[in-house]
Amino acid sequence: MRGGLVRALGLVLLAAPVAPVAAQTVPQFVEETGASGLAHRFTGEWEYMVGGGVAAFDCNGDALPDLALSGGTAPAALFVNQSQPGGALAFAAVDSGVEMEAVTGTYPIDIDSDGITDLVLLRVGENVVMRGLGDCRFERANEDWGFDGGDAWSTAFAAIWEEGAALPTLAIGNYIDRREEAYPWGSCTDNWLHRPEGTAYAPPLPLTPSFCALSMLFTDWNGSGVKSLRVSNDREYYEGGAEQMWHLDPGQPPRLYTEAEGWKRLRIWGMGIASTDLDADGYPEFYLTSMADNKLQRLADPAPDALPDYTDIAWAKGVTAHRPFMGEDLRPSTGWHAQFADVNNDTRADLFVAKGNVWEMPDFAMADPNNLLLQGMDGVFVEAADKAGVASTQAARGGAVVDLNGDGALDLVVVNRNSPAQVWRNAGPVGTWIGVDLRQPGPNPTGIGAWVEVRTGEHLQRHEITSGGGHVSGIWGPQHFGLGQADTAEVRVIWPDGRISDWRDVPANGVVTVSPAD
Amino acid sequence: MDRRRVLALGAAAGIAALAPGRVMAAADPVPVLTNWTKLTLQLVRHTATYSPPVAARAFGYLGVIAYEAVAACDGAMTSLAGQVNGLPPLPAPGDGLHDAAAVLQSALSAGVAHFFSNTGPSGQRAMAAMTRTLNAKVTEGLPAEVAARSAALGQAIAAHVCHWADGDGGAVVENMGFPHSYTARDDAAAWVPTSLVRQQQAPLLPDWGNVRPFAMPAGNACALPPPPAYSEDPGSAFYAEAMEVYTATQAITPEQALIARFWSDDPMLSSTPPGHWIFVANDLITRRQMPLAASVDLMARLGIAMADAFIGCWHDKTTYNLLRPVTYINRVIDPAWKPLLTTPPFPEYPSGHSTVSAAAATVLTAALGEGYAYEDVTHEREGLDARRYDSFWQAAEEAGKSRLYGGIHFRSAIAQGLTQGRCIGAHAVALRTVA
Repeated sequence: MRGGLVRALGLVLLAAPVAPVAAQTVPQFVEETGASGLAHRFTGEWEYMVGGGVAAFDCNGDALPDLALSGGTAPAALFVNQSQPGGALAFAAVDSGVEMEAVTGTYPIDIDSDGITDLVLLRVGENVVMRGLGDCRFERANEDWGFDGGDAWSTAFAAIWEEGAALPTLAIGNYIDRREEAYPWGSCTDNWLHRPEGTAYAPPLPLTPSFCALSMLFTDWNGSGVKSLRVSNDREYYEGGAEQMWHLDPGQPPRLYTEAEGWKRLRIWGMGIASTDLDADGYPEFYLTSMADNKLQRLADPAPDALPDYTDIAWAKGVTAHRPFMGEDLRPSTGWHAQFADVNNDTRADLFVAKGNVWEMPDFAMADPNNLLLQGMDGVFVEAADKAGVASTQAARGGAVVDLNGDGALDLVVVNRNSPAQVWRNAGPVGTWIGVDLRQPGPNPTGIGAWVEVRTGEHLQRHEITSGGGHVSGIWGPQHFGLGQADTAEVRVIWPDGRISDWRDVPANGVVTVSPAD
Repeated sequence: MDRRRVLALGAAAGIAALAPGRVMAAADPVPVLTNWTKLTLQLVRHTATYSPPVAARAFGYLGVIAYEAVAACDGAMTSLAGQVNGLPPLPAPGDGLHDAAAVLQSALSAGVAHFFSNTGPSGQRAMAAMTRTLNAKVTEGLPAEVAARSAALGQAIAAHVCHWADGDGGAVVENMGFPHSYTARDDAAAWVPTSLVRQQQAPLLPDWGNVRPFAMPAGNACALPPPPAYSEDPGSAFYAEAMEVYTATQAITPEQALIARFWSDDPMLSSTPPGHWIFVANDLITRRQMPLAASVDLMARLGIAMADAFIGCWHDKTTYNLLRPVTYINRVIDPAWKPLLTTPPFPEYPSGHSTVSAAAATVLTAALGEGYAYEDVTHEREGLDARRYDSFWQAAEEAGKSRLYGGIHFRSAIAQGLTQGRCIGAHAVALRTVA
């Protein structure tokens, strides 16, 4: 272990102590869309039946996440967060430079490592990387960074810092050839891998074969320290396709995992990837959204040198979410954005799933409520979206479960297709919590690829720091951990280069910034 | 039907000349048939309710629509009304010229739109694009009144057949064909769900055996004897069949694995087993430049035979409600065994792919002859190489065996399925199409 210096910089107590929380306490969410000023719609038809992302990140240094929302045929928009700590949600649209049309997805990432978060805008047409200038202003940086935005229907994103790189490697997933009106099937266009070459990007490598990706995620799936790229693909449009995982070995061209290596052929309407290490065994589980049954994958044999052979445990864990859990509409569901997050701070990751009909698909539910699945102490999830007040039946796409008012209770924003985006404030009750913010000098200042571990008593939680996944939506900010009734927690970080920090005690109900030793 | 009859129909060729002064053909009608068929295969794959029985039903009705559209313009052909169950006489062409391609285009565009009204946005766009493109082609150079008259006739024929179809008991499919609840029979031999998919905890389309058939008189017209009696005795016939599946899958060769995959024809990932055979027929129509009358005759009989095959097969699946190999083998032989293919979510006996393949082979052999060699390129776009067969029966028997290699059927289900398909196919072959 090197370093291990943990600095608790400006530990901020943002809320009064909260009451202890019991297992599967259902927090109450209050919809504040109208009052908050978050007035935005993701609109469009053919090219915008998928997409509809939101990026949640702090662009003005006030420790509250601001929101960049894609608009489809409407301009993308940036809303500055004006909420008061613990108070009602409040947003104001500002001119930021992101106001362009044809944006399907938005992901925040500090590409140039200057400490100011940048934005990647996925588009129908040319993708655009936007350099953060501070104070929620952005400028196009494709030319400065040598980024070839291409011309495709882009619908997935993931990023990772490869060893020694000055810039992150960006993976971009592309969808159908939009010119193929009569026979769109089998017309999936190549995904791209943008690898840096010095201080700029080399021409993108095609990730052939590509199968209409709707979500991508770099992940250390086997605990080896080497990241691989998972790609979730929409079987509606590929021919001969399946879910994919790519090797990304240092200095080597990407290559697909094969059946000979243990990768099993799985063909779903892949729309979103969420991951977390549910059982804290060092190997993340993956939730894959689809139509009808969704999948929760756990390694069949979780051990060092494990094969990438996954068992579907969605049913056993209560997260198939295959049809509306309320209302009269019993047709199968359509899942999009998914995110694990502890919304009641009981130390167990819960699961949010955005739901919504693709577009006039009468065999699938039209009134398709979002899911909020609360994990119990036995590891089984129970539906609570209706009791929590977030069971919207709008045609949801992207979303973010994130603390919008800094009170330690995770709030919710959802982007809907052809109807207004919605935002809910989590009014509790919730348990205690901490936020863990990573900072390291040089490239990759926010520690993408690290693991954060939080221990309360014998209970361990592990978060892999990723950029990507979900459905065209991303969050950048402190990692949120619920602590149940604990008033302190132990925290350590496994940095992307393998260094492991010491365990340090951290008081509950604040954000701690952690850096490695120099 | 025999081969000479099809050839005789072929002589009538693209333009039906037996009603002089009433019919013309500005454009070749055969591409209208083959293009709509290609699109239909895609729609089957991409429409969630289109499990194999539902797909076969659509192929049956669309085959009838195409046939009747051409027959309306061809005095040498006779209508299927009065031959297939419950089909009233078709609308007759009125006075004035009709264009065969325009009638067929109008009928198929309306028919496909009807049967795939529930497809998603991509399918809707594709249907609209196909309609626009083919409308433009068939009406190019056609007098406006002829185009309008032909379109009206095609629409009337499609509406007539669709109305007939709506009353067959198979028109409404909910929850992708799965009942919302199911109580398993308390019986060791009984089918139990084999899938981890929540939606598939009830058997697919348990009432499909009651759907009105086309050419066979009733769903039980080709009913099968029961499968071997359930037994866990290692000396029993049932155990022996299970052990055969177990042994075959444990020692599977690359060629056998390829056969299993080639014929897997999974719903929502392919055009399904009946779609596989429709693809073969459509490919042969195109490659061999088959005449129009023979082409629609073949498509109608093939669709009818396969639709009836699923009705008859499902009738017996429900009657015998037999468990799948994975259930038995895990219970009795090896709890860790897994089949190569995904086990379909419905009872085992008889094998649906065997029944439908035999029905298809019966029709294709009657139309094109014994020992008709051909190349099956159905899955080339999926990355599977073409396979060559010396006859349709060789292909059908391989399709049956593929289910054993895949670990999803016992031998009796395959053998009896082929027998049942041959019986059902004969009803379609017996239809009269020459006036």
